[in-house]
Order: sequence, then C-alpha cells, then structure tokens
Amino acid sequence: MNWGELLSITALTLRVGAVATAALLVPSLALGYLLARHEFRAKSVVQAVIALPMVIPPVAVGLGLLILLGRRGPLGGLWSGLGVEVVFTWWAAAVAAAVVGFPLLVRACEQSFAEVDVRFEQVSRSLGHGPFGTFLRVTLPLARRGVMYGTLLAFTRALGEFGATTLVAGILPGRTETLALGIYSRVQLGDDMGALALCGASFLIALAAMLVGEGWLRRGVAPPGSPMSRR
Amino acid sequence: MSETATRLQVQLKRPAFELEVDVGWDQRVAVVFGPSGSGKSTLFEAILGLHPAASVRVRIGGLWLDRAERGLHLPVEQRQLGWVPQDPTLFPHLTVEGNLRFGAARARGGGAGSLARAVDVLEIGDLLGRRVDELSGGERQRVAIARALASGPRALLMDEPLAALDLPLRGRVLPYLLRVRDELDLPILYITHDPGEAIVVGEVVVVLDAGRVVASGPPREVLWSRAVLPLSELLGIDNVLDARAVEGAGGESTVETAGGLRLVIPTPLPRGEAVRIGLRAQDVLIAIDAPGRISARNVFPARVARWELHDGDALVHLEVGREGRPPERLVAKITPAAAEKLGLGPGCPVYVVIKAQAIRRLA
Repeated sequence: MNWGELLSITALTLRVGAVATAALLVPSLALGYLLARHEFRAKSVVQAVIALPMVIPPVAVGLGLLILLGRRGPLGGLWSGLGVEVVFTWWAAAVAAAVVGFPLLVRACEQSFAEVDVRFEQVSRSLGHGPFGTFLRVTLPLARRGVMYGTLLAFTRALGEFGATTLVAGILPGRTETLALGIYSRVQLGDDMGALALCGASFLIALAAMLVGEGWLRRGVAPPGSPMSRR
Repeated sequence: MSETATRLQVQLKRPAFELEVDVGWDQRVAVVFGPSGSGKSTLFEAILGLHPAASVRVRIGGLWLDRAERGLHLPVEQRQLGWVPQDPTLFPHLTVEGNLRFGAARARGGGAGSLARAVDVLEIGDLLGRRVDELSGGERQRVAIARALASGPRALLMDEPLAALDLPLRGRVLPYLLRVRDELDLPILYITHDPGEAIVVGEVVVVLDAGRVVASGPPREVLWSRAVLPLSELLGIDNVLDARAVEGAGGESTVETAGGLRLVIPTPLPRGEAVRIGLRAQDVLIAIDAPGRISARNVFPARVARWELHDGDALVHLEVGREGRPPERLVAKITPAAAEKLGLGPGCPVYVVIKAQAIRRLA
C-alpha cells in the first residue's frame, strides 16, 4: 500500500459516491415532493417499495442488479445493443450505491417537504409564480436543511456500500475497488496495515461529512425564528 | 339579472362543512363579515382557485377569473389577486426586500413601479434590509400587504389583516389599510369579524354564517339588520355609530352623528375628532314618558320602527334624529313583557335612555 494507491482508491470512492448522489437527487426530490403533497391510493405501497433497498440484505440487492444489468439478464439484449458494459465497472458501483442510498434521500426529502407549510406555496402561486418556480424558489429553500442532510446521509451511505457492490462491480483493483471493498480484500490477503490505512481514510471522510452535517443542523440553514426552525 | 362588477358563486362540500355563496356587488371595497368558522377564509381560497373540487364562478372588478360553463378556470398564478392570508406568510428565507421582489417578479411591466409604490404607501422603506423574523407584528402585516401590492394585482384580498395584532397596534396599522384603500384604485375584498372594522373599511358588507350569505348590502344597514344581529351580538356590539366630537368638558364629551343624534360619552375628546362608538342593545332603555331627574346622561326622543321576538328577547328598532336628516337607527333589547306593557308598536313615540358609561369608543 503506497500513497498513490491510497489516494486513487479514495478518489474512486468519492467519485462513486458523488455520481450516485448526484444521480439520485432529482428523482428523490420529485418523489419526495409527490409523497409529501399528494394523497393517492397506492401511496403506502409506493413508500414500502422505496424503503425495500434499505431493509433487505444488500447482497440480495446486488444480485438483483446483477440480473438486471448483466448481459445474460432480461435486459442483456438492450445493454449489448447499446454497447454499454455496466457490470464490473465503477458505474456498477455507482448504481449499487445509488440504489441503497435512494430510500434515505427520498425519505429525507418527503419529511422536509411535509414540514413546509403549504400556505407558503399557495402565496407564491398567488403572486404569479407557477408550480415549478414555486418549488425552486420557495419549497426547496425552506426544506433545504433536511434535503441537504438527507443528501449527505445518502452520500456517506454510498461511500460505505459493500454488499451490493461486490456482486455487481466485483473487487477489481484500480477499476472498481472502493475503500470498503479495498478493506475487505486486504484483510483477506492478510495486508492488515493496508486495510487499516484505508479504514483511516474512510474514517476521515465520514468524520468530515458528519461535522459538516451537524453544522448544518445546529446553526440552522434556515434562519432562527422562522417557521422552519421553530418546528 | 345584469352582471355586477364583482360576482362570487361558490359551492364547496366538505365532510363537516358546506360553503354555498352566491353574491354580487358593484362597489369597489367589500367586507366579508362573519364569526370564525363561517367560511370566510375558505371563500377566499375558492376565489384564488385553491379548491379544485369546488364549483366556482368568480368575477372581480368586471373580469371573469373562473367561469365553469365557458371552460374558464385560470390557474392560481394567473389570477393576479393580491392575497394577504391571515397567518403570517412572509418567506422566512428571504429578507423584506427579497419578499417584495418575489412579489414583483411576475408583475406586469416588470414590477419596479408597483414595488416602489407599495413601499411608499406602506412606508416600509426602512425595513427593506431586515430579516422577516426581525419584524414586529404590525410591520409584518404591512410588508405582507406591500408584497401583495408589488405583484401588481387586479384586486386585493385581505384576510383579517388586523386580527393578529393587539388593540393599540391595530390603531397604528389601520391607517395604512385605509391609505391602500383610498390611494390605489383596486377592488378590495376584506375579511373581518369586527363590526367596527367592517363599517370603517367597507362600502358593502357580505355577512357569512355557517357557509352561507345571510345578508349583504351597505355596511350600516346590513350590520343593523335582524339577520346579522345575532352574530354581532356574539361579538358584543349591536349599535355602531360614527360621530364627531362637538364639545368636551371634564372627563366626558358630547359627540354628534351624521343624523344629528347627540350623545355624551365618557371619553374626553378634542373638538372635531371623528370617533366610532359602540353600544350593546341591552344597554338601551325605553321610556314612554320623558324621565324626570335621572343619572343617565343621554335621554332623547325617538320613534319605534318595529319590534320583533328573537331568542326570547324583544328587539326594538328605533329611529332617532332631526327633521330633514337621515334617521339614526338604534336597536334596544328588552323583555317581551316590557314591550307589551309599554304598548310598543310601529310609529310609537318613546324616549331613549342611555348611560354614558354604556357607550364604548371603538375607534
């Protein structure tokens, strides 16, 4: 284990986490808003399905993804037709990280949006702003603290993803080996010092993320005394 | 029926509440009056287009906003209604200026003119840099009204703008409301459950009770009418009069109404000051003969217009005033037995007796 290796594994991990989180953001905001603002018959079913990746074993999620994304799966023809190879690339690691992070972010968005008084949105509309403008300029800013914290949670969850990732991405040094995978493979190979070094990097990233998140929560991204912070 | 400038037809059914309104008027400034829970705010929401399930026809100031039979149903953001809801709704993530700019952003012609005008009329130039949570209750209301005006609305909908304020503060914010009413040529719908406010603000009053219009018309007549009496009684004032101080001495003063009725009230006032006074129906006494020496400071002749039974009480409608002026009207509440014993009937000449202490200054 040298510095270059440590840095490249760390960089890959951050890239996987960032890509996964970025890909999650828009769908999670949309779905979270839908769940927070609309009542429909299948709502509890939808909520349960969204929560699934959080509660079933990550390895099972990984197997499911392997079947969906693999060349021999039902969508295999599609992937080979498109000429894309997802399985056993870092993209697969990002997909796995996104799937397990999805419930966390959707739930955080749903709760944050539900806390925004619908009156603010109605007033915004009465002032001439359409539904989308109202969402961007009123709802999202008022919900931003919870949404940012949820994003951070999904990101850190993505950084630590192991079970699903091993199945769809494998542990390919230099290509799909993230910090979590690297720790596992080094322990298997008896390289305890290398595993500990990667643990240290994981620890530092997680600590930094949590400090940032706690800072958001404590100082309040919403101004004190506002309806948001009073709740 | 020819269409009035403003016409509201709303039908909205909810599990525990039904709103059924069909009312129209030509005046510019209308007050929607009624006790809490009567559906006033829900009516506003329906006018704004916030109740998709409601059956709604809305025409304000001559323009249709919602007309089901022609397929017209403008979305909320296209109605250009300046709405000031009852609960404080300034955006906490924006400064005062940010809130105003947000309001002006979609105004016709860019909103710079409407924003400057709103800041000017409501005198909030000094508050622009403040955060919303640094504002007092009265300042919040002024900013909320200014934000609605900044959007260049075709009408203003104000939902109890004074209700959240304590009494002294109301007196400080009311002049701004009147200024908005008088300086901007905008149709205004104004919700209140305060009869004094209704009389001061409105050219026409629509009274809602339990989701239905129970009366509508000129404020004084409507608030004096039998249909409304049980409601305003609930609020403690049955007689509301506008008057001007003609003389003052010691701890009291004499005021005179437009109809020439002179009353002594227990409030020292500078000569010429305009006041609004309120008096409960049960504090108005009726005598057939002129009382002799009596402690009551207000004794004057009047005529019975009619009397009726209401909830076990006799409500006696009285007309007072000088020849050649419109009569001032008062309502007295006495027992039916007393009304029978006095032999009251339409046209009956009587004396009205009111203690100065029973008269409250409302504004």
